[in-house]
Amino acid sequence: MSALLTVNDLKVSFNTEDGIVHAVEGISYEVEPGKTLGIVGESGSGKTVGTLTIMGLTRAANTQISGQAIFDGEDLLSASERHMRAIRGDEIAMIFQDPLSSLHPFFTIGAQLVEAIQVHNKVSKTAARTRSADLLTMVGLSDAEQRLSSYPHEFSGGMRQRVMIAMALANEPRLLIADEPTTALDVTVQAQILELIADLQAQTGTAMIIITHDLGVVAEVADEIAVMYAGRIVEQASATELFANPQHPYTRGLLDSIPRLDRDRSIGLDPIAGRPPSLIAPPSGCAFHPRCPRAFDRCSVELPPLEAAAAGSEHLVACLLSPEERIEKR
Amino acid sequence: MMFNRFSSKTNRPKAGKEGNPMRSIRVYSAALIAVVLSLTAVACGSSSSSSSDGVGDVPATQSLTGKSGGTLTVLASDDVDYIDPGAAYYQFTFMVTSATQRSLYSFGPDDAVDPVPDLATKAADISADGKTVTVKIKPNVKFSPPVNRAVTSEDVKYGIERAFLPTVANGYAEVYLGDIVGVKDFTDGKAKEITGIDTPDATTIVLNLSRGTGGVAAGALALPISAPVPQEYAAKFDAKNPSTYGVHQVATGPYMIEADSKGALTGYEPGKKINLVRNPNWDRSTDFRKAYLDKINIEEGNNDTTVAARQIIKGNDQVNGDFGPPPAVLKEIFNSTPDQLALTPSGGNRYVSLNTALSPFDNLNVRKAVLAVFDREAMRATRGGPLMGPIANHFIAPDIGGFEEAGGLAGTGVDFLKYPKGNLALAKEYMKKGGFPSGMYTGSEELLMVGTSGGAAQKAAELAATQFEKLGFKPKLRLVTQDTMYTKFCGEPKAKVIVCPNVGWLKDFSDPQTMLDATFNGESIVASGGFNSNWPQLNVPSINAAMAKAELIVDESARNKAWADIDRQITAQAPAVPWIWDDTANIRSTDVAGVINKFNGNWDLAFTSLK
Amino acid sequence: MIRYILRRLIWVVVLLFAVSFVTFVIFYLLPSADPAVLRAGRQANPALVASIRHQLGLDQPWYVQYGRYMKDLIFHFDFGFSYQNGMPVRQLIFSRLPASISLAAGAAFLWLVIGIGVGIIAAVRPRTKLDRASMGLALVGISAPVYWLGLVALYLFSSDIGLIPILPGANSYVPLSEDPFSWFTSLIMPWCVLAVSFAAFYSRLLRGNLTEVLGEDYIRTARAKGLSERRVVFRHGLRSAITPIVTIFGLDLGILLGGAILTETVFNIPGIGRLSYSSIVRSDLPVIQGTVLLGAFFIVFANLFVDIFYAFLDPRVRYE
Repeated sequence: MSALLTVNDLKVSFNTEDGIVHAVEGISYEVEPGKTLGIVGESGSGKTVGTLTIMGLTRAANTQISGQAIFDGEDLLSASERHMRAIRGDEIAMIFQDPLSSLHPFFTIGAQLVEAIQVHNKVSKTAARTRSADLLTMVGLSDAEQRLSSYPHEFSGGMRQRVMIAMALANEPRLLIADEPTTALDVTVQAQILELIADLQAQTGTAMIIITHDLGVVAEVADEIAVMYAGRIVEQASATELFANPQHPYTRGLLDSIPRLDRDRSIGLDPIAGRPPSLIAPPSGCAFHPRCPRAFDRCSVELPPLEAAAAGSEHLVACLLSPEERIEKR
Repeated sequence: MMFNRFSSKTNRPKAGKEGNPMRSIRVYSAALIAVVLSLTAVACGSSSSSSSDGVGDVPATQSLTGKSGGTLTVLASDDVDYIDPGAAYYQFTFMVTSATQRSLYSFGPDDAVDPVPDLATKAADISADGKTVTVKIKPNVKFSPPVNRAVTSEDVKYGIERAFLPTVANGYAEVYLGDIVGVKDFTDGKAKEITGIDTPDATTIVLNLSRGTGGVAAGALALPISAPVPQEYAAKFDAKNPSTYGVHQVATGPYMIEADSKGALTGYEPGKKINLVRNPNWDRSTDFRKAYLDKINIEEGNNDTTVAARQIIKGNDQVNGDFGPPPAVLKEIFNSTPDQLALTPSGGNRYVSLNTALSPFDNLNVRKAVLAVFDREAMRATRGGPLMGPIANHFIAPDIGGFEEAGGLAGTGVDFLKYPKGNLALAKEYMKKGGFPSGMYTGSEELLMVGTSGGAAQKAAELAATQFEKLGFKPKLRLVTQDTMYTKFCGEPKAKVIVCPNVGWLKDFSDPQTMLDATFNGESIVASGGFNSNWPQLNVPSINAAMAKAELIVDESARNKAWADIDRQITAQAPAVPWIWDDTANIRSTDVAGVINKFNGNWDLAFTSLK
Repeated sequence: MIRYILRRLIWVVVLLFAVSFVTFVIFYLLPSADPAVLRAGRQANPALVASIRHQLGLDQPWYVQYGRYMKDLIFHFDFGFSYQNGMPVRQLIFSRLPASISLAAGAAFLWLVIGIGVGIIAAVRPRTKLDRASMGLALVGISAPVYWLGLVALYLFSSDIGLIPILPGANSYVPLSEDPFSWFTSLIMPWCVLAVSFAAFYSRLLRGNLTEVLGEDYIRTARAKGLSERRVVFRHGLRSAITPIVTIFGLDLGILLGGAILTETVFNIPGIGRLSYSSIVRSDLPVIQGTVLLGAFFIVFANLFVDIFYAFLDPRVRYE
């Protein structure tokens, strides 16, 4: 089965007053139809910028973009803005992190849904409204007709995210990008939303990229996982493989910071020490080395390539440690 | 909020006609409020006395021929004082009333001293005892619509009576005509008419006076108070408080303020406009006025006099109303198009008054020191320099009787006014004589100075403050609006103001008494109420006595001599620093054949025409 | 909503009372010219001044005067008579209102169109030459004194004293009811002059707001929907960015309806501003009171309208 989206050596940098921000430093991945790719990383790792760039939403005079993003046989990075507008919201749709700030506060839910439908379909307002109500019902909101006249601030966080999902699915996209879809929500609601997304994906057969800093989230929905650090993919594998056999010290750090029921609460989470690196002047060599508990001399000099963790393996990792050293317990 | 650059305007006082040199001294404050309203003024220009070339001066005899027709626009910065002719008493208002109202007597353009019969047929007949004044009126003068009937002596009577009504509040009736028998009963509401005014027939009016002040009374008949008012029409308006006759007035002159068929004015909006049109009932054969113009639009609210003056100079069909061109524009006009300029002596002075009743200026030598040290040339420069008039060296202004006798332009000869730029050494001499051995003032108290904020007046006040500092005084300058300066500070002895840098006086008419009596007579001091005009509070018994005597002198030259002598005595007392005798400048568009009314000091609308 | 408006209306009345009271007290506490002495004229004497003082009611204690004033105002809508010219204040004010409204409304239209237009252009092209040039010019516009601008305009363009005589200059105002065409041409310069600083201020404000709004998440959402940039900016961006402008616009318009003193003065437009200025200069309390009350009326009502309108603009406000 050929990939729906193939990203090749994508690089994105921004000129700012403080200097050039190297947000994405050459990432490659594929998303197959109906499958889910999870992109995991801390904020500032370039995971959001990368997907926004694919959508054509980072284009600006001060942005440099290179590489390819082949969607359905066509490079989105070199597509015209006009063509991108036709794709956005129709072929590829997005769900954002904070549903409150991502919905326009002055327009009703109905108006925002109708707009999303009408921009890609020549249908009457009434038809679009009916479709909107159906969508709201689909995402599990009762009294859909009445809800259409409500404003975002009248909804709870979970309901708002359901609206966002409804809006994203309005035109039955082939690829859904969910950027931290549950981060802003209560823990109890998070699970419901994830479940909803998974259900709807199963129903519609859409492919999905889910972006998160929380490995726990992708564990539930992703088929494939890419871990990003400082604009690069540092580890990539199928979900089961990654959880079973994490290779990169950073991935391990992330895994250790997931709250788990089988762990003693008193130990607490084990977040990775240190702060994310500057993207204007990233550390030399492996960008993770200043925070890496396993760093050694070469790490500050040499940039590790992303390669098979073991010969012939589809498990990719970018670390200078030998395969044996990587799996050693600390 | 900012109020910047509101240029000044001239609202010179209207001169009352000198009917009799023995007239009441109660005219003392005649010029006060006028000056009050005019001191932001730039009444300026090259004095006729000082500009030897006579550029811009109004000739002694003006050409009174002109072409009929057209509309003249008069640009004014402010409104008239009262649109009601019975209350009107300002130069600018008289500019209007002289075109719309026919009083018993009026002034022709070229004679500022003697009025001519207007509604009257000939000069007033004053009895030998001065207690009876009889005037015959023309039978064929008619009121404008909607009254339309011929004027009778009854209408003149009512015009005078209503001036005494509190709803009209005429400001001068009491002073000039208060001696008419029965006035008190009328004003107290005890009588329905003034019994002392007789109208034996439709064309005769007789004023019966309780004292022999007929000369004064006859003189006042050249003011709009003697203009006829039809009682049957006006009474209902006069019953209102305040009277609304002003906005329902009828005219007898060649022009009337535009009105609807019922007589309500449509051509007057306060602060906006006064539109004059021909009075259809005016009969040219009964009047000395020429009335060339068809229509006169007075447009008020031109607060930026620089812009307005330029509009007049560059534009067509325009003259100035209540303001003079500001110094810079005046210089330009003087240099480039002097024929558009009409300069007439204002008959006024400006001075910095020193409070002679309070320390430190109760000390004559200290006062002399101040006069000696003052740079009066710099003071004059605040108004624009030599072009604006000569430096004043005493108090009677040029072209007023007694001016030459008092020393003319050169002055009375006192050494402390000999140096226009000031003389510090001489000033220190006087300080020493005054009890300050170092020649410098050593007292610690501050001198309260109250001046007018804004424009040239503020500049003069600020400069004056620095002059006091030269001798070690510590002036504390407070700047307020001009009205406030007069009514709450300088005109109010209780306010204990030591220095008033922005005061001045304008003649009522060409008589020296009108320059000196109200301003330096100790008997004129009004202790409270805010309308004292003897600002230095000069109270020298010998001077007071000399004035009492001089008021009674009838012979003109003897009278001028006596007042000139008083001027010398006042100057010797150094009660104030005189620094300019300024002139009035009027301007016109090139296509206006302007005629100046010399009595009134501005354009005569009934003689001005378009070329 | 109705209850809210009613409550606000009551406040408006209370506020107007307070304003009238404060004006009255200030007039009596601060030294200003004595109206009776002024009215008495040049021949003032104690008896005449006293009689005028009595006529005007100035011999009464101030609270009695205030009470009488308020009684006439409330029961007869009578603002009293001008000390200066004896004309009814109500008539003075109403005869000048059209000019002030003409000036304010025309200028407001201009500055809204220009300010919003320039603000949008600058915001959607941030840091370009166009942006920098327009914002720099706006800064100049904000700093330029209205009076000075007015004079410059007159000396440049007025038909009588201008270098390029193309427009009617000072003193050319004609009421709309008399001659609409002359009304329009006579107001072109005043409108422009009055609008300059407002347009400059609004464009800078809108640029700031819009730049900020265009960085909001919901704008990203709008773009992600595939909306055209035009629709993103105008429907989604402007809708939010314009709301603070509405507040300021309401207040500015309210203040200007109470009189644009400097513009009215330099162009000699007979509006409320000049009336209030001359009344202050002459200590004409009834007219001062009238114009202050009118100004306060416009401002508090502008405030009220802004608040109500705001609720329509921003649904979040409605439920608070």
